[in-house]
Formats: sequence, C-alpha cells, structure tokens
Amino acid sequence: MDFKITSPKNKAGLLKAMQEGKNFRFGAGYTDLLMELKKQEETSFTIINLAQLNDKTFTEINTISGGLRIGSLATAAEIVNDKFITQHFPALQEAAHSLASSQIREVATIGGNLCTASPSGDMACALMALEAQCEILSANGKTRTVPISGFFTGPRKTVLQKKEVLRSVLVPLLEKNRKLHSGFIKVGTRRSMECSVVSLAYHIHLDRNDSIVHAGVAIGASAPTIRFAKTACDLISGNNLKTISQKDKEEFAAKVVSYASPITDIRATAWYRKEVLFNISKSIFE
Amino acid sequence: MKKKQKIAQRHKISFKLNSKDVSCDVKASAVLMDVIRDVLELKGTKPGCREGECGACTVLINGSPINSCLFLAINAEGKKITTIEGLTKEDGSLDIVQHELVQHGAVQCGFCTSGMAMSIKGLMNQHEKSNRGAGKNKKGQPSREEIKKHLEGNLCRCTGYVKIIDATEKLFVKEK
Ligand SMILES: Cc1cc2nc3c(=O)[nH]c(=O)nc-3n(C[C@H](O)[C@H](O)[C@H](O)COP(=O)(O)OP(=O)(O)OC[C@H]3O[C@@H](n4cnc5c(N)ncnc54)[C@H](O)[C@@H]3O)c2cc1C
Ligand code: FES
Ligand code: FES
Repeated sequence: MDFKITSPKNKAGLLKAMQEGKNFRFGAGYTDLLMELKKQEETSFTIINLAQLNDKTFTEINTISGGLRIGSLATAAEIVNDKFITQHFPALQEAAHSLASSQIREVATIGGNLCTASPSGDMACALMALEAQCEILSANGKTRTVPISGFFTGPRKTVLQKKEVLRSVLVPLLEKNRKLHSGFIKVGTRRSMECSVVSLAYHIHLDRNDSIVHAGVAIGASAPTIRFAKTACDLISGNNLKTISQKDKEEFAAKVVSYASPITDIRATAWYRKEVLFNISKSIFE
Repeated sequence: MKKKQKIAQRHKISFKLNSKDVSCDVKASAVLMDVIRDVLELKGTKPGCREGECGACTVLINGSPINSCLFLAINAEGKKITTIEGLTKEDGSLDIVQHELVQHGAVQCGFCTSGMAMSIKGLMNQHEKSNRGAGKNKKGQPSREEIKKHLEGNLCRCTGYVKIIDATEKLFVKEK
C-alpha cells in the first residue's frame, strides 16, 4: 500500500487541491478507506486528507434555524456525546453509539459513513429516517444541497461528482418541543462490531395525545442502498402510538419489509433478514 | 522498483509521545502502530488483526482510545499520543489501571493487555472529562454494561473478560 497525500489546512487549500487534482479520493477517519487501500499494491490517485482541515462548517455541530448542521468531519463519538442530538435526534445518537467500537467511534466520521455508501451504514440509516439534507461543496466554491433520499445511487455509489466533497448534513427539526418516539435497532452477528444483518431507524413525532403527526422510518443492510420506507410511514400517520392495533402494526411491518431486497450471504440468509426486519418493525410500537 | 520510488513521498511529523516531543520521517501510508513499533521502537503496542477488530493496538490520542493500526501516522501531527509505556510512572511503578488488572488476575497470555489497559484508561479519561465542571450533574460510576460496551473493541482470547471488567469496576469505585 502506498499513495500520495495532501493535507489542506483550510477551505482555500482544500478548494485548490480539488481544482488541481486530477485523480483523487478523500480521506477523513480512514476506517473504511485504509481497509480498501490495504488491498491494493499501488494507487493511481492522490488522497486529499480532510483530517487536518480546520474549517468550522466541516468540523462543528451547530444549531441553525430550522434544525442542526453537522459537519461531515464530526466523529461518531462527538455525535454520541452531543446533548442536542441526544435530546432531539435519539435515532442518530443511538446509531452512532452502535457503530463499531469506542476506538473506531473516536475517528469514524459521519461524512465517511455517508460517502462510503454502504447499505449497512448506521449513521447513514438514521439520517435517512431523519430526512436530512446533504450539503455538497464543489471545487469552484459553490455548494448544492441534496436530500438524503437522493444521495445514494447504488451500493458504494453516491451523487457526488468528481470535484465535489460532502461538507455537512442538515437535520431538520420539525418543532422544538414535540414528543418523540425515536430510536435505532440493529441486529448483528457479533455484538455491534461488523456489519449489521439488518437495521432500522425510526423518528416519529407525536402530538400531546400520542397521535402520530409525522413518521420517518429507514432500513439498512436490507437492500443495495439504505431505504426510506415511505408507504409504511404514511400508513401509521394519524394513528395513535399507544393504541395502534395489532393488524396495523403487522401491516406497517409488512410495508417496511416490502422495501427490502436482502441477499443471502455469509452473515445471514435473505429469509432470515426479512423475518428479523418484520419483527423489529413491529417491535417499535411495544 | 522504478514506479514505487516515484510514489514514495516522505512526510516529517512531530508529536508528543508519552510526554516527550518526537519527530520522524514517514511514508504517507504509514500507520501509527508501525511508526510506534518500528521507528520509535516501543513494542508494547501490539499488532493483532491490523483491521480495527481486536484492539491490541489501542493507544490514546489526546486522551481518547483509537486503533493505531487504522490511523495514519501523518495525522498524529501535533497530537499527544500515549502508549502503554507512557502509563507506567517515571519511577517504574505501575499506573492504577495496570495495578488493578494485575490484582484481579485479569492477565493471562498478555497479548491483549496493553490495548485493554489503554482502552480502560481512555474510559477513565472520558469519565473524568465529562465530570469536569459538571457540578451536581456528575455521572456516577459506569455500570458493568457500560464498561462492556466500552471494551467491545478489545478482544481477549484467554480471560473470558470477567476479571477485566471486575478490575475496571474497581477502578471507578476507587476513583470516588
Ligand atoms: C472494525 C470495523 C467495524 C465497523 N463497524 C461499523 C458499524 O458497525 N457500522 C457502520 O456504519 N460502519 C462500520 N464500519 C465502517 C466505518 O467505520 C464507517 O463507515 C465510518 O463512518 C467511515 O468514516 P471514516 O471517516 O473513517 O471514512 P473514510 O474511511 O475516511 O472514508 C470513507 C469513504 O468516504 C469518502 N469520504 C469521506 N469523507 C468524505 C467527504 N467529506 N466528502 C466526500 N467523500 C468522503 C472517502 O473517500 C471514502 O471513500 C466499521 C469499520 C471497521 C474497520
Ligand atoms: S491490530 Fe489494530 S485493532 Fe487489531
Ligand atoms: S490475556 Fe490472552 S488475549 Fe487476553
């Protein structure tokens, strides 16, 4: 394994590296990238090292009007410990907490989790349920915003163009003091390390009487990309979380499963994945 | 031959290793673990899986535990790194983490132990940090479940973990 690397310290340096670079990849926490590069003798590309970048829009977690901006370089550990995220976006906090191990959480970034576009990305799955927006910076200094539902274009593929970098994600906060039912469930083979067999993120807004005002549900490790289970969300809208019938719960779970096209691999069979997904979907009401 | 030399780009890095300033010349692709072991010749940091799974290579960066096998050495620039050698005090006496692991018989073959000790130290640092200035909202000692969760990234093939968790629990009781 060998490669060239350049470590811009600020935004101007980053844009310059992106403009001048012909063939490059970004590196943030390297927990995915190094494993990939170790398999290759030599690489033809340069790495633009984001780890030494000192730019708040990339590194900080800040409240903004209408929600929260999370810099792409925020680590899973920072997300786990963030009080605002813990309070308003439990699904994201739990997803970050379930990722790998404490050592990896310390360096793994939310941007890396999104850009690696693995169907089993934990923070990515939570962000899908939270209906986040991705802020993309291009080499010419312009930014564009893409809803996360349009960010993943296939396994390991995203909408990022050649000269673009993910700068931050925006997580909308519907209403500040809404009651929430929000969380992340992951079923894996060995504790939380390794990829999950299936995962489910849910973020449900309730009114004072526990009626569902808005629901966001996403599934991971069950299809080529993480998916937002729109019809399942629509189905439960207006229902009461506490008194939802067994039939509706099962119908909801079946709708969630309809978004899955799992594979049989070394970790689990497709049948098992669907069963697990059905059961954890139902379990969010219990 | 020819091709490889073209790529080989060297970087000078400086950081604090166990409270001492060090600098060295590394390849862009060098991981911190190899620099610590082969360039700086501290062999207490163990190479296990080299894939972020086993935790034998755990060191602290600015007080928090990371896998040095998955960390690029060039990103250690300006940071404070602590290895197992840095836990032991100047006079050679053991740090409380090492002391408790020994007292509890939590060491068998020892291969996981340096990484385990660094991980436990990291938990103590984080606990202390979050309690600094927390006033009345101080976190109590971590539960066994929380300790287990924290040590998830450290594999031990010998002890069955119980004694390691016992030792860690004891450390927090002592801390109070
Ligand atoms: C032992 C182990 C266990 C793991 N367990 C889990 C797990 O349980 N759940 C989980 O979700 N993941 C897991 N992972 C995968 C990985 O840790 C996460 O995906 C992590 O969030 C990646 O972040 P990073 O900063 O390390 O990314 P990097 O490795 O630095 O980058 C990943 C990819 O994204 C690109 N990239 C990074 N940042 C940007 C950016 N800002 N803009 C554009 N492109 C960018 C890189 O070019 C690269 O292709 C595990 C990895 C290991 C080694
Ligand atoms: S050698 Fe680093 S985690 Fe195993
Ligand atoms: S004591 Fe042997 S691996 Fe832990």
